[in-house]
Amino acid sequence: MVAVAGSSVFALCTVASAVVLRWVIDHVIDPSLRQGHVGTGAVLAGMGLVIGVGIIRAGGVVVRRTWAGIAHWRIAETLNGEVVDRLVDQPVSWHQRRPSGDLAARGGVDVDASVDVLSPLPFATGVVLLVFVSSIWLLVIDVPLGLFAVAIFPVLIAINITYQHRVDRFYTQAQSHLGDLSAAVHESFEGVQVVKAFGAEERETERLSVIAARLREARTSAVLLKGSFDALLDAIPALANVALVLLGAFRIRSGSITIGDLASMIYMFTLLVFPLRLIGFALSALPHSLAGWGRVREVLDEPVEPDPGASIRRAAGDVGVSFAGVSYQFEVDRPVLSDIDLVVARGSTVALVGTTGSGKTTLLRLAAGLLGPDSGEVAAADGARAIVLQEAFLLGASLRENIAFGGEFGDEEIWAALDAAEGRDFVEDLPRQLDTEVGERGVSLSGGQRQRVALARALVRRPTVLLMDDTTSALDPATEARVVARLRDALSDATVLMVASRPSTIALADRVVFLNDARIEATGTHVELLVANETYRSIMEAFELDRTTPEGV
Amino acid sequence: MPGLLEDEELGGRLGTTHILSRGVQEAPRLRQGFALTLSYALIGAAGRVVIPITVQQAIDHGFTAQGVRMGFVAVLCAIAGTAVVIGTLGQRAAVLRLGRRSEGALYDLRVRVIAHIHRLSLADHSDERRGALVARVTSDVETLAEFFQWGGLAWLLDGALMLIVAGVMLSYDWLLALIAFAVALPLVWVLRMVQSHLGAAYDRARSRNADLLGAVTEVVTGAETLRAYGAGPVMAARTRVVAKQRADAFVRAGTIGAFLFPSGEVFSALTVAAVVGVGVARGTAGGLTAGALVGFVFLTYRFLEPIAEFTEVLDQTQTAVAGLRRLIGILDLPIGPPRPTSPRPLPEGPLSIHVNDVTFRYRSRGEVDDDEPVLTGVSVMIPAGQQVALVGSTGSGKTTLGRLLARLADPLAGQIALGGVPLTFVANEELRRRLVVVPQEPFLFDDTIASNLGFARPGSSLGDLERAVAALDLDEWLATMPEGLQTMVGERGSQLSAGERQLVALLRASVADPDVLILDEATSSVDALTEVRMARALERLAEGRTTIAIAHRLSTAMRADRVLVLERGRLVEDGAHGDLVAADGRYAELFAAWVSSTSTDAD
Repeated sequence: MVAVAGSSVFALCTVASAVVLRWVIDHVIDPSLRQGHVGTGAVLAGMGLVIGVGIIRAGGVVVRRTWAGIAHWRIAETLNGEVVDRLVDQPVSWHQRRPSGDLAARGGVDVDASVDVLSPLPFATGVVLLVFVSSIWLLVIDVPLGLFAVAIFPVLIAINITYQHRVDRFYTQAQSHLGDLSAAVHESFEGVQVVKAFGAEERETERLSVIAARLREARTSAVLLKGSFDALLDAIPALANVALVLLGAFRIRSGSITIGDLASMIYMFTLLVFPLRLIGFALSALPHSLAGWGRVREVLDEPVEPDPGASIRRAAGDVGVSFAGVSYQFEVDRPVLSDIDLVVARGSTVALVGTTGSGKTTLLRLAAGLLGPDSGEVAAADGARAIVLQEAFLLGASLRENIAFGGEFGDEEIWAALDAAEGRDFVEDLPRQLDTEVGERGVSLSGGQRQRVALARALVRRPTVLLMDDTTSALDPATEARVVARLRDALSDATVLMVASRPSTIALADRVVFLNDARIEATGTHVELLVANETYRSIMEAFELDRTTPEGV
Repeated sequence: MPGLLEDEELGGRLGTTHILSRGVQEAPRLRQGFALTLSYALIGAAGRVVIPITVQQAIDHGFTAQGVRMGFVAVLCAIAGTAVVIGTLGQRAAVLRLGRRSEGALYDLRVRVIAHIHRLSLADHSDERRGALVARVTSDVETLAEFFQWGGLAWLLDGALMLIVAGVMLSYDWLLALIAFAVALPLVWVLRMVQSHLGAAYDRARSRNADLLGAVTEVVTGAETLRAYGAGPVMAARTRVVAKQRADAFVRAGTIGAFLFPSGEVFSALTVAAVVGVGVARGTAGGLTAGALVGFVFLTYRFLEPIAEFTEVLDQTQTAVAGLRRLIGILDLPIGPPRPTSPRPLPEGPLSIHVNDVTFRYRSRGEVDDDEPVLTGVSVMIPAGQQVALVGSTGSGKTTLGRLLARLADPLAGQIALGGVPLTFVANEELRRRLVVVPQEPFLFDDTIASNLGFARPGSSLGDLERAVAALDLDEWLATMPEGLQTMVGERGSQLSAGERQLVALLRASVADPDVLILDEATSSVDALTEVRMARALERLAEGRTTIAIAHRLSTAMRADRVLVLERGRLVEDGAHGDLVAADGRYAELFAAWVSSTSTDAD
């Protein structure tokens, strides 16, 4: 509202400055230079008026822009917050159905696009007022001349809108070509090793230059169109002004208007051209804004899905985790897990073994309450459950924050967790230890180091149920074996469920659950399964083939 | 290797004038016909002072004390109308010429930079630098494009306008003109001051903006972990803080910006008041007419308009020069190994490899050159058709040796010869046709399997590709793909498993049909079935070719004709698997460690 008021002040002062100019010409310039006499008072008054109106008009602009900016960014801030709240409220299954790049865009650029329409609003109000008041004023000075001048306004606005509409097409095209180019260049540079391996440097440059040529073409068209319209939009008011001089001559001869009247009309016209152009610009941003707003609303309007974690029952006395008749599928008729019955004793360590796609990870997610079963029941012992995913997710924050991860833990506890995760040594070697920032702005950690931080994050919570999804695979076998052995000491009461692939690690578990084709095919100790199950044996042999040379031996 | 950062600083030491002249040199289209463009711009500018002059003439000679001379006014208006039309056409021509030329020049520049980056050495293409390289081709060229669409145009048109307006003002009354200039002059200073604060404020706002985008991305990519640890609300609160900081930063920048445009207004008012005051005070004595004074008032607005725009344009110009500087920094980076001027052909058939006393060290990153060499005095002769495994712990130099063999870099000392011809004399096209590297994590383009295979040999027919699949005994695997060869592999091959990506890479190498194969073995785990397929495909692929496998699994070494063991950049053992195990040296040690880690026994 303050912004609109400021904008109105600007509009009124614009007209006022034309009034002042007329007064100055008729009462100061004309008398002094043509009749040769003028009072000092009139000169000073004229100068004062010019400066005064100029300053008030400038003040209006400052007020409008400042307050419009405040409204714009505060609304953006509120929307950012609402979208993020919604994103963290939705369960994992909701996130899995949507591309992450798209979701991130909704909380960021889409919010910006939807509020973009707000900033020019006060200005637009001001311009409408300006056109209205100046039209009246032009008509008050002289009806015939005023009519002629006012008739030009709609022409200018119409040309402007046509121009924006047509040029937008090219800009949208250019934007999409730029997106294509950017994606293609990224891919080509990412695959540079392949490009070089096959001597395809020139071919690739050629391919990219075709996309670059499309971009050039769209943008050249836009520039050419802009050049022509700019010229037209400059020429029309100029020609109208020439016509005003001619028509004005008749009116002056008949004594209907003064020279000052005419000059101020011409001046008024010059002042109006710029605001009118901006109106076209603001209008053209509207569809883009509405699209952004629609995408933001989509996220906000969707109901929050129930938390699958709430469906986990409390397990009886000596049971750590149990599954009873549990089935789960992502797509219809493609079960990931079907009819799983499994009871894991409290305090025992179980290894989940199976080929890619056998449902190991899904089983862990169900136990963690990240997914809810389609049918059946999952139960877990009381206390903290912690899952360590295969890909360690680290925040762009300090190591301390990454391990505490929203919880309250003292440095002692954090170091103890790092100890158990075999992470103390590398953290101690970092210059700022727990205060070291990781991610884009900080140090980049190796895969094994990231996994150890993620593991420490789980351990610091002293979980009663620990779920690990091939967590230690980025460690060398010796370290991995050490970590798993330590876990059993550090968390003697905890139930551990781990997806594992190294025979040496699997052998450390109390029991192995062998999953095949969405079902539990066999359970038993590693040795029992090796003897009893042929498929299990062949998988172990394949894993063995796949072992890497120990690093740094 | 010198980092891009250092090289950008190298560009940063070049002065602005030097950067601009280099820019014109790299994009010669900009200079061609510029004189004509400038003349058109001057005609356009002249068209924009027609109105003030017409008003002046009409007041002084048309509306005389004796009455209105209609004839004069009519002729005046006819001339003015024509002048406006000519001026408009001039302006249009100038804009169109500049637009066409600048877009053409930017296209040339973009393609040159892409070509140059493709030819940079692999060491300049690390993951961390990729974003920077892509930004050179996209956002840096875009800053130049934006400059030409607005800033460059403003320099041209406003520059011409100010020149013409100043000329007309001086011709009306030189004293009044000088006063107008003098009063307007502080505006430049005020605007520069506001500008510099504004620039800093916007930099801050942009960086807060990046923070917010980063925070939102974290909430999305880490959704599962956040959920698992119940850290959602904490993270949302953290993001709200960042969102507030961003809003604050933009509001601050906006508030400073709010003073920019109005300061021009205030100075216009001051200048007009001064012109009127002084003009009237001097009276007719100075030969000033009423028309000239009114015309002067109009001209003052015309004169100050571009000043306000100029200051904003200056900022944009600085951004554009910075973009250009980074582009030139890229073009100044030395490209990969030089190509031979008079290449020598390789002999037909399988090729031998001769490594003679090779030493290599990566160029140090600006610090003192005291890094230990990655390879020291490595010599080995590999006869044509031999299957060799290269083993050693991480950092032993095996990957580097593979790179040197493929001539992705040249050794610091020593020589490598292929089929008796030193690599430095082999034409790039021939080398790439005869020797192919399969990297550890093969890169696939977001396209069909067929086009990924065809990349190795443009113009291959579907039949050729199918034959290659059959030759590696992979048709059974291909049949499991939903669309066969036309299956889309997804970004970086994400629709395929790690093992399947390896299979495609092996197929791609076989389509190229090289005489030498350098294989950087994958370390990622694959399932049993793919493993079996891969081993068989590899065996087929290696048949009849000289093969060097950078082995991470000792099972590969067991199958090779010969094992080379590297240790801290030196070749320490060379022989067949069995002999080396018996010799009880470094290899025997590695082998023992490997056996124990993969032990299937429970104890």
